[in-house]
Amino acid sequence: MIEIVAVSTGLSEDSTTTRLSERMLTSAQTALEAAGATVRTTHVNVRHLAKALTELTVSGFPAPQLEEAFAAVSRASAVITVAPVYKGAPAGIHTLFWQLIDDAALAGTPVLLGATGGTPRHSLAVESTLRPMISYLKGYALPTAVFAATDDWAGGAQSGLEGRIATATAELAELTLALNPGALTSAGAEATPAEAAVGSAEESPRATRTRGPEGASASEGYDRTIPYAGPAEESGKSAITPSGLGERARALRGRDEFDPEQVTPFADLLGL
Amino acid sequence: MEFGIFTIGDVTTDPTNGTTPTEHERILATVTIAKHAEEAGLDVFATGQHHNPPFVAPANPPVLLANIAAQTERIRLSTATTLITTTDPVRIAEDYSYLQHLSGGRADLMMGRGNTGPVYPWFGKDIRQGIPLAVENYNLLYRLWREKNLDWEGNFRTPLNSFTVTPWPLDEVPPFVWHGSIRSPEIAEQAAYYGDGFFHNNIFWPTSHTARMVNLYRQRYEYYGHGRADQAFVGLGGQVYMNKDSQQAVREFRPYFDNAPVYGHGPSLEDFSEQTPLTVGSPQQVIERYAGFREWAGDYQRQLFLVDHAGLPLKNVLEQIDILGEEVVPALRKEFAANRPADIPEAPTHEWLVERHRAGNDPVPGGAPGTRAHNDRLAAQEEAQRKAQSQA
Repeated sequence: MIEIVAVSTGLSEDSTTTRLSERMLTSAQTALEAAGATVRTTHVNVRHLAKALTELTVSGFPAPQLEEAFAAVSRASAVITVAPVYKGAPAGIHTLFWQLIDDAALAGTPVLLGATGGTPRHSLAVESTLRPMISYLKGYALPTAVFAATDDWAGGAQSGLEGRIATATAELAELTLALNPGALTSAGAEATPAEAAVGSAEESPRATRTRGPEGASASEGYDRTIPYAGPAEESGKSAITPSGLGERARALRGRDEFDPEQVTPFADLLGL
Repeated sequence: MEFGIFTIGDVTTDPTNGTTPTEHERILATVTIAKHAEEAGLDVFATGQHHNPPFVAPANPPVLLANIAAQTERIRLSTATTLITTTDPVRIAEDYSYLQHLSGGRADLMMGRGNTGPVYPWFGKDIRQGIPLAVENYNLLYRLWREKNLDWEGNFRTPLNSFTVTPWPLDEVPPFVWHGSIRSPEIAEQAAYYGDGFFHNNIFWPTSHTARMVNLYRQRYEYYGHGRADQAFVGLGGQVYMNKDSQQAVREFRPYFDNAPVYGHGPSLEDFSEQTPLTVGSPQQVIERYAGFREWAGDYQRQLFLVDHAGLPLKNVLEQIDILGEEVVPALRKEFAANRPADIPEAPTHEWLVERHRAGNDPVPGGAPGTRAHNDRLAAQEEAQRKAQSQA
């Protein structure tokens, strides 16, 4: 099961930001389903959390609806985040969401960036603010960000908006499936990887995978060959292999640190 | 069950008239508040520890607590909290032992890591090492109070060679220790490991989260073989402002809430009151609310109230203490005693601790041989050895 969570800040009832993020969500869902995955989507509108975000900033106090939204992001196999551009940057209330979420919530998760604005003049607005922030959170921000100016809603091949959405969501689908090969097995169709990690911390999707340096992914139905360079620590290659940062982070996120069964034994902390 | 008050020693402007107490006034007011708490029949007075304005909470709580001990006879003196991270454990061992002697055993302490960043570098510590500091420092403190001629080496303090704490704990039994944490499961785990108490200040945090921390501590207390989960030592904070007329209480307190350094410009008083133990209203409302904590905290041992925060004038604070002493605490004592199993211990007194020690029943840190924890640790060690050997 792949869960895509969209976090967007649509500030008016007829918001183009909401419209763009819904388009991106639908497109991503279609791409993943075409590859054979079961997909669940959740859409968080930051507008509804505005007061809770301010309260959390000022008083350190987490409102329940905000915690739910953070939990959804933590669960997600993939994230789409879209903000309106104010004064050349994504609106503050949107970045505040990412500035308040737990450091570990997004680690190893593919993230699609999007923004809306009046003119194409601010097409690169996400690049200087949102992309570094997602990187700090160790999210894998996909190369193609989607910017929609007012004119882009005229539609047609001229605007190129549909094309950009398709390119971006294809990138998202590809990376999400590469990081979650288990999602395509019938067992993986039931729970998101984060949920599955709670039940079996030992078992990993990698267990179903490959045998050698040039081996193909063993996940059925996904015929794209991904060279397996071995564990990232040994090969020194990119952490974006199923045994790298993403998987460890997702397994860790599934852990409930207040569960008496999963708490770190004190002897470990004492160094005994 | 013991009831009392705690202060964080904030020096805050009264928003209703713009006046700010001087540090001198606030210090003397704190002593007055503590003495008044004893007169009102409360059981505990606890102070925080701070090292910067706008606070007059003592940098070394025993200084304040010894002064109060000399002017009182029954009330227990405690901390909320002692900074176990940035205070030298040797000095904690010496000073609280001294207080224990001066107060005739009426002292205990509650450990915390502190919430003011710069305090760490002011005392030569690294804030990123908060948990390891709390772990190592308390382990040293624990040993200092039980081992003479101690040889010790660690990461965060110079080594000790043949060191004995002076004075040695009263009757050879150190003050009881509670570990406080708002959101770190490691500290609940630490409290459980040693068989110490666990305190959650409960006030700036959703009750649902507090319940989970308390439950974690209780389950791990049982795991380490110190007793059943329901027999563990739990303490909670709370905050109240009361008036016979509940509307009047809200009217009076609202300006203090809205402008308080901690609460101000955040959730409304009503929202905050709904999700945290803050109760602004009639004494009856407080009684009902706090009696209900038993449902998620179990039969606990200590309930402390914050009553002097946010710039409230001394007169109002003393009135709150009167209401606690006359109405709220007597009613809560009855409520908490009803159906309380006889084998759940009360908050430890010095006499109780001495008796336990002499009977040879002190908790064994990490679990005595035969406990689940001990067996798990042995198994883990064997596993590690086997792995090391097979790789050799």
